Parts: sequence; structure tokens; C-alpha cells
Amino acid sequence: MKKFKNREKESDYSIIIGCGRLGASIADNLSEKGRSVMVVDKNSEAFKRLSFGYGGLTFNGDASEIYVLNEINVEKAKSVVVATNNDNTNILIAQLIKERYNVPRVIARLYEPEKACVYEDADIMTLCPAVLSANEIKKLLNIDTVEP
Amino acid sequence: MKKRVFLIGGFSKAKALAASLIKKGYGVTVINKEPDESKMLAEAERLNVYCGDGTVPIVLENANIYGADIVIALTRNDDDNLVICQLCKKRFKVKKTVALVSDPKKVDFFYRMGIDSVVCAISAISAIIEQQAVMDEMQTLVSIGAGQIKISQIPVSPSAPAADKKLSELGFPNNVVIGCIMRGDRVVVPRGETRIHAGDILMIISADQKDIQGIKEITGNE
Repeated sequence: MKKFKNREKESDYSIIIGCGRLGASIADNLSEKGRSVMVVDKNSEAFKRLSFGYGGLTFNGDASEIYVLNEINVEKAKSVVVATNNDNTNILIAQLIKERYNVPRVIARLYEPEKACVYEDADIMTLCPAVLSANEIKKLLNIDTVEP
Repeated sequence: MKKRVFLIGGFSKAKALAASLIKKGYGVTVINKEPDESKMLAEAERLNVYCGDGTVPIVLENANIYGADIVIALTRNDDDNLVICQLCKKRFKVKKTVALVSDPKKVDFFYRMGIDSVVCAISAISAIIEQQAVMDEMQTLVSIGAGQIKISQIPVSPSAPAADKKLSELGFPNNVVIGCIMRGDRVVVPRGETRIHAGDILMIISADQKDIQGIKEITGNE
């Protein structure tokens, strides 16, 4: 029974592009939950950020190259998280993956919220750390002002 | 009113292109993120220079790019060029966007992302080199649309099977069109009854290099 469950999880294959702090921590989380996951980074040193217990795959290559995307079988992924440290690279990779491989869920990290408009018609989710932190801080400040 | 053209990134390319466009009467602005390069560019007459990162929306806005006629993205990075053109198209309502791409495999993708014109330097240059190296008699003049359509000139040799024959008598390949015939200083518009003479130069529009083979045979270039 347990074996069957595992196999079911395996069909939910995720790819994380960019093994920075964000990429590595998402990959670690997914791997801990027993999901099948692959992290891609063009710098093999980056994989040192993964925890000791990381059980997923790693791939050393530049994901903005089409042959790399073919090699890691992007089309088989249910979700792809694009989290390199360059907004423009993220935009290119996310659109390339959505357009050429039709992955159901593509999530991209974007430092500059003003650039989100290029994703307008594409079915790509964007996360902006500055906006998220601002919202959290607003909440904290509100609580502080309510107290006295 | 002057047409407004923006060149983003690419120092030497921007310099050469700006000079040529200014001569043709366009209002040209260059956006470059290196202060040193911007200073050097600013030495040119009638050229507006804006120093900043052209992939950042606020920079484009301050450079007054809204509603520009043409934006040409010339940076070294494909991703930067894609973002520049998409921002210009979607946010700043630029009428025409042109992007330089270094990876020939991404040309299609750039077109599908809504960029009006995609130029791949590598495929253009390799096509020229290949043609210089392989072709001798025949010369390709222009390649359009990533090299799928070619305009070439091909001379008719005295021993050619086609010499002194009417065009309608020749079995021309289907996918080849003779645009015009150059005879000395004259230009002859080809019709079915036009006779081809030795020494004529045929201007040929073709879709595939294979189709030209047939032409080479009847003009005696084989």
C-alpha cells in the first residue's frame, strides 16, 4: 500500500531552476515531503546550499538553453519554479517553459514588481519578495499600533 | 514629426546604427547602462543619450519611450533583449520592436512572444560565410526571415541550355521566381515570351536552396 502511495507522488514531478537560498529551500522542503524534485543551476557550487538529507536530483546546466530544458524533461513536470537571481533570465525561462513545453504550473520569482506586466497574458504566477515582505511588515506594524 | 527610434544597449552596434539612422532623418535616442560608454556616445551630434539599465521600467519611462516608433534591443543577453521588447510593447505602447538574439534556436520563440522583428547575428553571419565559401558563380544578395527566403543573382553563361530560349520554354522549378533580368544597363521585366540571352543576370527569389540547383543547370553554372 505504501509503495503505491509513493508511486502516486512520483507523478507530481517538480523542477526548481536556480539553487539560491529560495530555490534550495523549496527543493529541500519538497524532498522532505517525499516529492520527486530536480534542481537546476548553472553553477555546481550552488548545490552545496541543499541540506544534507536532500533526496532529489540535481542538474548542472543553463536552463535558458533549449537543449538543457529538453535534457531535464521539462514537459514531464507538473510545476516549475523559476528562481534565478536575474529577473530577466527568470522571465525568459518561465515564458520559454510555458510556451514550448506547456507545463501546467509555472511560478517565477521577480525582484522588480514593475516588470510583472510582461507576464500579463501568459499563464505564469509571479512572486515578488519586496511586495510580500512589505505586506508582512504592514501587518506587524498594524498589530503594534493597535496594542497601545 | 520625426520618427522616434530608441537603441538599447550594444555600444559599437548602437553607434553605427545611430549614425546611419540620424542621416536618414530619424530622431534617435540611445540607452546605455555604462557611464563611460554613454559619455563616448554623447559625442555624436544630434544623438540623445540616456544612461541607465534599459530593462528597468522606470529608466524607459524617464527616457520618454512611451509611444516610440521603433525600439531596437541590442544588448549581449537574449533575456535582456526579450524583456526590453516586451516592456516596450506591453507597457509603453511602442509601435515596432526589434530584438537581437544570439541563440538561433530562440528566434521562433521571440516571434511568438510578440516581438515584431528578430535578428539573429549568428545565423546571418554563418549564412554569409557559407555562401562565400561554397557558392562561386551564384551570389545571394539578401536573406529575409531568418534566411528562408533568398534573393540571389545568377549569370547566364554562353553555353547555358537556357540561352536564346523563351522563359515559357524552360522548365523552371516551381518554388523559384525570376524577379527581373539585368541586361547590360537595362532591366527587363520577365514575361513568358521574354528570351534569355547569354550574359544576362537573373535576379531570383527562392524559398529553398535546393530549388536553385535546377536554375544553376539551365544557366550553365554547373
